[in-house]
Formats: sequence, structure tokens, C-alpha cells
Amino acid sequence: MEISPTIFIIPTGIGCEVGGFAGDALPTAKLLASASGCLVTHPNVMNGGTLSEKDKNIFYVEGYSLDRFAIGEIALKRVKQQKIGIIFDSAIESEILVRHLQVADACVSTLGINVHSYVVTKKPLNIMIDPDSSKMSGGTIENPDDLIDAGKCLIEKGVTAIAIVAKFPDDSDSSETNIYREGKGVDPISGVEAVISHLISKFLKVPCAHAPALKSIELNENLDPRAAAEEIGYTFLPSVLIGLSNAPNIVELPSKHELISLHPDQIESIVVPSGALGGEAVLAGIEKGLNIISVKNQNTLKVTNKFYDYPNLFEVNNYLEAAGIILAIKKGINLKSINRPLKKIQKISNND
Amino acid sequence: MKLSTINFYLDWPVSIELKHLREFIITNLEKKGDVIRWSIVDIQNSIDSFGTKKLKIKAVLAH
Repeated sequence: MEISPTIFIIPTGIGCEVGGFAGDALPTAKLLASASGCLVTHPNVMNGGTLSEKDKNIFYVEGYSLDRFAIGEIALKRVKQQKIGIIFDSAIESEILVRHLQVADACVSTLGINVHSYVVTKKPLNIMIDPDSSKMSGGTIENPDDLIDAGKCLIEKGVTAIAIVAKFPDDSDSSETNIYREGKGVDPISGVEAVISHLISKFLKVPCAHAPALKSIELNENLDPRAAAEEIGYTFLPSVLIGLSNAPNIVELPSKHELISLHPDQIESIVVPSGALGGEAVLAGIEKGLNIISVKNQNTLKVTNKFYDYPNLFEVNNYLEAAGIILAIKKGINLKSINRPLKKIQKISNND
Repeated sequence: MKLSTINFYLDWPVSIELKHLREFIITNLEKKGDVIRWSIVDIQNSIDSFGTKKLKIKAVLAH
């Protein structure tokens, strides 16, 4: 089958109009996967709280590993099933922990996912959200070593992919949370979520994703539809378990022994929101001369191509246009042949 | 290990080509710690007559 392997990025915590909420870029990912035949994307795109979907044309890769893939440090290997372990932050209240364990049991019984075991961190992770998260949400955790030790414990028991559930501060009444729920502003916790999953990817090199543990919040009748997927259950764990259930294995390069399903050299394009060209995967794509498809998708950043002047960049108005570009690339159609006016071919000097 | 968030300002001289920008940033960030997450969050054009750009980078580092 003809494919045009493509990376699809929507950076976490920059308030993207499409993809800045609860899995609200998942339909777009399905569109781009259909156009390309092979899409590599990350949990922020795919996770809709309780809702998610598998797609045979989508590789679900955590953001830190996705950057390493774009750089060319790792390849991806398809698996039929991951053996998932869950790390629970010891700060999670017992009732909320039970809710999460029931979600894991439900995913085994209803979806046939292999959730193997769980471990509780020795010390609370202690989430610290940046007070200034208005432009890009961020923060850290106080006890990263406890997170990594818990992950090592799971891997020693044969787990091949890790879901992490961390307790987040109860700020359901904060102005940031309410603004986010009504479809404005930046997801205030997603930056720390990225840090947590990046730590597991960096130090343990296995597929992983994070779901926050939050107390149930009051009904909001002005809820934006894009944030609705996070309001229909007790936990956000189902989408993480669905995504990880057959997430590809990480293969360190160079590799002589592992079968590889997708090598980074096969990537042809990266789709990214306009203004968000300052991430590592995009810069790695530029190093390799890949097509960068920059899509108008309102967000808080303004890192655009006017600072780079990169020639292989296509600025498009929406993801439907991006899908068209990918199709043209896949079929080897000159994009200039589609646009009007159509210039005559150039004569070049033969004096050298 | 301890984590910290930094806002890091870095001059991007014209001598550093775009295709070497990522490596240039990483080299400078690694002087400050083990890099967990980073992104350019702002760029200002030509802060001098040599065409130097100023990058604002937000990063999470481990120490």
C-alpha cells in the first residue's frame, strides 16, 4: 500500500483551538492517518478522557519518544498487544484509586486490553504547577525518582508499557480551569502531565502516557464541546489504556536485531500548528529537509516561518487542506500543478 | 534528582544555520542540566546590525 509517513504534532498546553482540549484533535488525526496511510502522533492528540479509538494507521508515541523518533534516535515496531502496568501516585485518595482500578478492570473485561498490574509510588509525586501558565502550561514534580523507581518495578515484573496516574491539586474552582472548560485559555495541567510522561520515556524507554487523578467537579452548563470528553466519567484513564494497548515498541538505533515497522528515515512530512515551530521534532524535521505543513490553529505562540524562511514549508488554513497536501505528496503530484496561476518552467544558466 | 523550570534567553547568531539550530539550543541547554522538555516559545528578530535573533526557550531540566 502506498503511504506517506507523517508526524502530527499538537503541542501540549499552548491553547490550540483544535487539539488544545480533551482529545478534540482525534478526528483530525483519523483524517490525516487516512490521507497519509501512516501517522505518528502523541497522547495529547489521541486522549479524550473516557473516549479514544484505535486506528491501524496511527502510531501512538509519547512526546519525548516522538521527538527522539523525529531526530532519528529510535524506530518503531508494531506489536499486537502491550502488557500494561499502571503507576499510581501515593497521594491519590483511596476512593479515587478504587475508581481507577475499576477502569483498569473494565478495560480488561470489555476491551480485551492486557492490563497486568499496578504499583503505588513510595512517596507522593507532589505536582507543582507553574503559576504563570497563561502562554504555555508547565510545572514539575517534587519526587521524580519515586516515579522512575515505580516504573522500574513494573518493568522488572514484565510490563512493556506504562500508564501513570498522578494526583493533581484540587483547583476545580480556579479561573484557569473554568476558562478552559468554557473553551478558552490553556489547559493548566497539561504541561506537568508532559513532564511526567517524558521522565518515564527518557529514563525507562517504554511506551507510556499519563492521566491526571482529579476530584469530580461541579456541573458546568457552559461547557465547551471540546472539553466534554473529560466530564463523562470518574477518570481519564480509559483513553490512556486504549492508546497504550498496542502502542509501538521503541527500538534504539542503530539496531541489527529488532524488526522495525517504521524507520525515522521514512517520514516525509510533519504537520504542526502555525506558531508552534519551536519544538524539537519540527527543528529535527527541518534538519532533514522534510515537508513542514503549518496549519492555522490559533494558539498562544508566535514562532512562525518568518523567523526561519524554511523553503519546504506549506502554510495552510485548516487540517482539510493539510490532508490534501499529504495526499498530493503521497501520490507524487506537484503541488504547483494544482495551484493557479501556473508559471512557465524556468530557464537556468548553462555557463558553469 | 530535582526538576526545575527555566525561561532561557539565547542569542541566535546568523553564523548558526537553521539546520543546526536544534543542536545549538541543546548544547546550550545541557550546560544547565539534563533536558527533560523544551521549546522555543518566542523569537525576536534582529536585535543588532549583524542579524542576531533572540530566542526565548522554556525548559524543564533535571539536576
